[in-house]
Amino acid sequence: MARILVQLKLRLLLNALRSSTAARTTFFFSTFFALVVAVGGFYVLALFRGNSASVDLTTVIFTAFALGWLTLPILATGLDGTLDPATLAPYPLRTRPLAVGLLAASATGAWPAANVIALLGVTIGLAAGGLGVLVAVIAVLLQVLFCITLARLVTTSLARMLRSRRGKDLAVFLIIPIFALVELLGQVIPRAAAEGGITAASFAGVDSWLRWLPPGLAAHAIQDASTGHPGTALARLGLLAAVIIVLGWLWIRSLSRALVTADTATGSAQVRAATLPLARYGRRGAVAARFWIYQRRDPTSLVYWAMTAVIMVVVSASTIFGPHQHPGVVIASAVFGAGFVGYFHANSVGFTGPPFVVEALALTSRRSLRAYFSGQNIALGVIAVPLLTAICLGLAAAVRHPDQAVPAIAVALAGLGAALCLSNILTVTLAYPMATRTGSPMRQAAPGYASYTFGGILASLAGVAVAVTPVIIVAAVTSSDPAAIRAPVLIVCSAAYGLALVWAGVRIAAREAEDRLPELCQIAVQSTV
Amino acid sequence: MSELAIEVRGLRKSFGDKEAVAGIDLEIAAGSLAGLVGPNGAGKTTSLSMMTGLLRPDAGRVVINGLDVWADPAAAKAVIGVVPADARLFERLSGEETLEYAGRLRGLPATEARSRAAQLLEVLDLTADARRLVADYSTGMRKKASLGCALIHNPPVLFLDEPLEGVDPVSADAIRRLLTRIVGTGSTVLFSSHVMELVEQICDHVSIIDKGKIVATGTTEAVRDGKTLQQAFIDLVGPRSSGEEGLSWLGSSSS
Repeated sequence: MARILVQLKLRLLLNALRSSTAARTTFFFSTFFALVVAVGGFYVLALFRGNSASVDLTTVIFTAFALGWLTLPILATGLDGTLDPATLAPYPLRTRPLAVGLLAASATGAWPAANVIALLGVTIGLAAGGLGVLVAVIAVLLQVLFCITLARLVTTSLARMLRSRRGKDLAVFLIIPIFALVELLGQVIPRAAAEGGITAASFAGVDSWLRWLPPGLAAHAIQDASTGHPGTALARLGLLAAVIIVLGWLWIRSLSRALVTADTATGSAQVRAATLPLARYGRRGAVAARFWIYQRRDPTSLVYWAMTAVIMVVVSASTIFGPHQHPGVVIASAVFGAGFVGYFHANSVGFTGPPFVVEALALTSRRSLRAYFSGQNIALGVIAVPLLTAICLGLAAAVRHPDQAVPAIAVALAGLGAALCLSNILTVTLAYPMATRTGSPMRQAAPGYASYTFGGILASLAGVAVAVTPVIIVAAVTSSDPAAIRAPVLIVCSAAYGLALVWAGVRIAAREAEDRLPELCQIAVQSTV
Repeated sequence: MSELAIEVRGLRKSFGDKEAVAGIDLEIAAGSLAGLVGPNGAGKTTSLSMMTGLLRPDAGRVVINGLDVWADPAAAKAVIGVVPADARLFERLSGEETLEYAGRLRGLPATEARSRAAQLLEVLDLTADARRLVADYSTGMRKKASLGCALIHNPPVLFLDEPLEGVDPVSADAIRRLLTRIVGTGSTVLFSSHVMELVEQICDHVSIIDKGKIVATGTTEAVRDGKTLQQAFIDLVGPRSSGEEGLSWLGSSSS
């Protein structure tokens, strides 16, 4: 069974490579990043040699890797086809050999190998002596096995939940705390460390409880073996192995349930309103109404707004919580917030999916396409403007520089204009199919199109940053002018500038879309909702 | 011959090395209820997508009610209604909102769109589920809602891709009667189907497509040529495999 599933995974990888240039590009990028993680991780762990806090730091890194395994399949990658219990349900497979096979398939690929190589840095950084190195190798293998088993348990349980609409809707909201945690680990802590807010000594307290978690057991077993306590090391490894066995048992139970359970929730939702709002405003009003309803009823849309808020807070977090004061960071929050609003809506055709065909059939002229894009912008603007304004006010208060609220709001308004302009244009020029992958509640770029996501983020953030530069300059130049005059003029002018950008974006996008509607329809049809 | 509602000339489409549609010609008179039948992968969906402006052809011309679909897509799209094979609907709108949205997108005033939506939901037996989200609809209900979206602007030409797949017999009968009624008013319907009995019963014109080419087209009587449509279809398309002698292991008597 293990051989068959490993072969299946390799075959799927090869087929994906053959399918398109986009798939090849994504594969090479992914492999390259795996290589960077392998070499970088190995180097960083090896650097801890001789450091008094090396075991604490190793524990933190082992825990971070485990968190990565836990969160990334849900946030970004989903499961591959070999690991979806639903595809295997029709075959007469016994759960135990199936579990071993799925585990072997999970361990196949560039990323598991990169994990093993990266963590083997402990053989230099933490281990000492022959026994130390031997225990380090065993501990690393057990740590990776722990990560894989934990990830499978969570994603198999989720895959079962994700088969019903209600289950999916609930699961999407798991993304918000996970995303906040990832941002905290990936952005706030490294920045605080760079500013001296966090040093190696800061982890001493953390380690006192992290050491009892499985990644901590692995790290401390290496130290015990290296400092002449082989008995304790063996006990820790035994405990870790026992945790893996328990997780494996839970996973097998979850898997056997997943093979025969259709979904976890039934029933259907009734809507209260009988009709669509904005009846007086023709096609533009109809599109705005549809997008407005989706912002409320589609959990992914709600999560996008929550993610925008988290990103804005994270950008300002080091100044709010750290020892150094950079009040201008609120403006950076506004730029990032607007940039991500643009990115989250920069593939509206792929995001809408097959129903876009209903819209495309009715979009018969450039004028109707303008109504389509402006309707979309109205719905997004109605949410984005108050949300970003409120966050800018909150952040300015949190950094104890309320005067920063005015330039930040001005930048947010101009930035939103640029973001909506870019999202309209990118929707037409950089459209790509999206898919909901097994094990992940979020819609992501369909296999082979991940590089388009990076293109969208880059174009949106860079475009917004460039577009708001004049506003930032004007805000800086006028900073000593009387606030009573400066504030309204700056905000009104920025809003007008933003509106002009939206107007231009709608016209450009409509002109481009007129010639590309059939191609956009094909991208929409390839997407899954 | 009466005026043509659908005229297709030399329509071609390839995906990489595979030629999905290899130059089809088709003429459907106004007021016809026409069927397009063919085996799986014959090119039915690809052809219908190109005829409705949803997939750009490599070559060929499609004229609907005198309007060239690819030279003037705006005008052509205004006179057609389309029900795609996989009912593509907004999952987070209710059935009622879905039909109203389709009507308003087509430029109908909101009150008219609402009124037509309510009447269509009634005819399609969806009134009781009008306020449920489409996400919770069954396959048959989605098909019916999709048909409602395609009809709401009263198009003179209607394209349907497998309209009765997954639809229960009662709903199928309602759809059949609706299609016959539409054609009775002078509109034209072209639909693809695997169900030969249905095509034979209700279509006055039938075209058989195989390997991307039209292998027979004309009145249903002419294409049948005294046989059942099923038999005529198999005679034209031929059996898909040579025989079952290689399956000696298959069956309860084998070990």
